[in-house]
Amino acid sequence: MSEFFQTFLNPGVMAESSGLLLRGLWVTVQACLIVIPGGLFFGAGLALAQTLAPAWGARSLSWGVDLIRAFPPLVLLVLIVHGLPFLRIEPPPLLGVGIALTINTSTYYGEILRAGILSIEPTQWEAARSTGLGTAATLRHVILPQGVRNVLPDLAGNTLEAVKLTSLASVVALPDLLRMARVAQGVHFNPSPLILAAVLYLALLWPLVRLIRRMGGRAVLPA
Amino acid sequence: MSAVLELRGVGKTFAGVPALRDIHLAVGTSELVALIGPSGSGKSTLLRCCNRLAEPDAGDVVFEGEPVPAGGAELASVRRRMGMVFQAFNLYPHLNALENAALAPRRAAGLSHGEAETAAREALERVGLGDRTSAMPDGLSGGQQQRVAIARALALRPRILLLDEPTSALDPELVGSVLRVIRSLKEDGVAMLIATHEIAFAREAADRIAFLADGEILECGPPAEILDRPRTERLQSFLSRL
Repeated sequence: MSEFFQTFLNPGVMAESSGLLLRGLWVTVQACLIVIPGGLFFGAGLALAQTLAPAWGARSLSWGVDLIRAFPPLVLLVLIVHGLPFLRIEPPPLLGVGIALTINTSTYYGEILRAGILSIEPTQWEAARSTGLGTAATLRHVILPQGVRNVLPDLAGNTLEAVKLTSLASVVALPDLLRMARVAQGVHFNPSPLILAAVLYLALLWPLVRLIRRMGGRAVLPA
Repeated sequence: MSAVLELRGVGKTFAGVPALRDIHLAVGTSELVALIGPSGSGKSTLLRCCNRLAEPDAGDVVFEGEPVPAGGAELASVRRRMGMVFQAFNLYPHLNALENAALAPRRAAGLSHGEAETAAREALERVGLGDRTSAMPDGLSGGQQQRVAIARALALRPRILLLDEPTSALDPELVGSVLRVIRSLKEDGVAMLIATHEIAFAREAADRIAFLADGEILECGPPAEILDRPRTERLQSFLSRL
């Protein structure tokens, strides 16, 4: 048993690699600060465009969304980070990762928000329209406040996935939390830094996980 | 009497099935016109054609002397002056009573926040709910919800109210409170076009009653004439089954 502890929970190794891992954690947090707001922003754009576009436009958008969702995010990441330089576009690594993962996660956010909009009965649109409210005002004050509330647990769940998605960045040499843990593992010939990284991910995600659990118990609004 | 709202030969077809045929009907200033008829006779469709929630296929809807515009800001402006009340209330469940009534004055009519709230408060007082302004819809009874819905329409100071079976979704003991509000609005001179199954109410409150069957107005006239001396067989059998 003590061999197990020495291998996976080695306090000396953890202490020595903690500086490296904290730097990695900061990179992960930065990636999240690009990917989550970016994904929500473009996801909202996709959802609104599909709601308001004429049928053919909505159909082509949904094709695009499905294509991106079916595309492995790892391949998308490699294509963008290592492909853009061929077009003489060389974004800093963090931004390249941010762009690739935002493209991926915005399609999921978009579908969730679209489901939220569709969860509101047409009679709410009619009531608003009968008082002379336009489409934008109806969306903003009647449909979205209810629709977003109906899908809050799903939005939070996708945010959780987005945070974990950023660990893919280690593949393209971005010094994120997972990458730094792998580096420390190599330096010490010991996997304890990986466990420490898991603990740091947990610290990052735990509040969100609990929030989702709390929201899951709440009744969904009647339309 | 000058007409606030006039339908001239309005027709509407749903997937090849005619829902309204050649409807001619006018509602004058301060006039209350009741639409009666069996379910599916086209009462709702007629009301929805007035503010173009349903698009008429034929004929003209004329509001205050002008044809109701097809869309855009002009249609929105007409809709503000033509209040609508739905059978299922259709209140905004995430907003309280005051916010429900203040939303359109603020966001459609462009009043300031304070003006919109004042208009909403006055409208709620008019329907007897001045003390429930901060109540959420699911904390109100059906009758109270429908009165908030009436206040939502009134807050825009409309020239006419279109009421689509406003008491049909209510428990019997709550019907009276809504009908009382409608009666008091009539006394204040609000023009109304109301689809209803409350024949006793129509007899006592309506200036005229129009009987609709299979999308056509078969008879139209003062309550005594329509209810006591029905001319068509359809109306006679409709009244006998009540």
